[in-house]
Amino acid sequence: MPIKKHILSIDDEADIRELLQEVLTIKGYRVSTAAEPEAARKIIREDPPQLIIMDFQIEEGDGFVLIEDIKRLAPKTPVLLLTGAVFDRNVVRDTIEKKVSRYLDKTASLSTIVSEIERLLGDAPTSDLA
Amino acid sequence: MKENVEKRVAGLFLVMLAVLAYVAWSSVHHIKENIKDKDWVNHTHDVIIHAQDILSYLHAGDAALRTYLITGDERDKQGYRVAYSTMVERLDQAVALTRSGAEEQPVQQRFLELQNLISNRIDVARSTVQAREKGGLEAVRQLFGARPDVESINKIERSVNNLVTTENGLLTQRDQQLHLQAQATKTTVYFGLVVDFALVVLVGWLMRNDLALRRKAAQALEEANEQLEAKVQQRTAELVKTNQSLKQENLERRWSHQALDHQLRYNQLIINSISELVIVISRALNISRINPAVVQQTSWEPQDLISQSIEKILHFPPPLSGDDSQNPLTAAMRDGRQMHDRPAQLLTRSGKPMPVLCSLTPLHDQDKIVGAVVTMRAQAAVPQPTSS
Repeated sequence: MPIKKHILSIDDEADIRELLQEVLTIKGYRVSTAAEPEAARKIIREDPPQLIIMDFQIEEGDGFVLIEDIKRLAPKTPVLLLTGAVFDRNVVRDTIEKKVSRYLDKTASLSTIVSEIERLLGDAPTSDLA
Repeated sequence: MKENVEKRVAGLFLVMLAVLAYVAWSSVHHIKENIKDKDWVNHTHDVIIHAQDILSYLHAGDAALRTYLITGDERDKQGYRVAYSTMVERLDQAVALTRSGAEEQPVQQRFLELQNLISNRIDVARSTVQAREKGGLEAVRQLFGARPDVESINKIERSVNNLVTTENGLLTQRDQQLHLQAQATKTTVYFGLVVDFALVVLVGWLMRNDLALRRKAAQALEEANEQLEAKVQQRTAELVKTNQSLKQENLERRWSHQALDHQLRYNQLIINSISELVIVISRALNISRINPAVVQQTSWEPQDLISQSIEKILHFPPPLSGDDSQNPLTAAMRDGRQMHDRPAQLLTRSGKPMPVLCSLTPLHDQDKIVGAVVTMRAQAAVPQPTSS
């Protein structure tokens, strides 16, 4: 049995975390979740993930600061910024995408998000979520 | 069809059973008859042997008697007596053998006649011996000369021979009868075997046909099952696909709902966090939304203002020049332009006027102006509007 790839999901919204965990588990990934930066840093140190999905808004912390911490702790790990804070396209191109591997708005469809995750992990894309 | 074949096979087996039963009964009957006939044959042979023994002992006794008559030797006399005695014994046995059964009566009758002849012969022999003992050979010669007995032995021989011939004739008849019985038994057994074999073949043919039909039916059933299985698999695959699609739709819907909810709350949070007074109005200047700052600073509750015209609470001073008496909000919306920091008075719930600087930004929705966002910030001193 192949080893499941580990994904860390950081979000202050429990519903979002749980839904992402459910979908990615169905897709065959091992998913850890964190609601605030300290828990996220602990997971990154103890069980380094292959991909980090994070929101810009997190409990007791700042998304930009956490991105810098992640770059320091796991510089090779791709980061997908999945946020409800809508940025202007120019801002995304000039600022956000220089800090993270990929930026996606939370209003993007789930299949788009999953496809992007598979692409970042180097997995063959699949059409179905379920 | 299946029941019909089963009935036929059962019927044929019953016929086979009946034929076997008849053959068995016939064979047992013939065996019993055979045993009976063999008993009779043995008995008849016994009678013939006794008859021939009588004749043999008669000849032996007669020879011994003649020798005695010539020699006068007591040993010869004893031989004659023993032979005659055995002959009488055999005769008695033969009479006893033929005592039972109606069909034995003629034979017994002959033996009784023979008994008379032998009795006469014994009497002749006894008188001859007595004559020899008393008068020697001469007396015997005289006795033979006076009462010659040349026929008694011949009569006995003829009687015995006739009896033996008759018995042999009966034996021949019985042999023929036995042969016929054996033939009949053999024919019955062969007939039974042939009939049973034919019936077995017929049953086999019927069963083979039935088995072929059953195999065909089983094959048809198997094919139907395979088709059904294929349909079930196809339907299951469709259901699985539909289920996956539904799951996918459900996940997408949940995600969309949560993302939009998050987005909405985030936007709401931004609006609610603005310290300026924000009022959203329709194209007809009716209030559709207010932010918490309006409630906080004017004491108006949303239910007091929503659907009411903004003109009731927001008053602009009349223009200093020109003849444009239209509300500046209406004018800005009509022109699709923004309005910035226009002095106005906002009436609080208590009726106290509050000087504000009012701005307006029209809401464009696909090239149409559907309303406007009016923002106000408190002004320390604004000109008092004249009453209209």
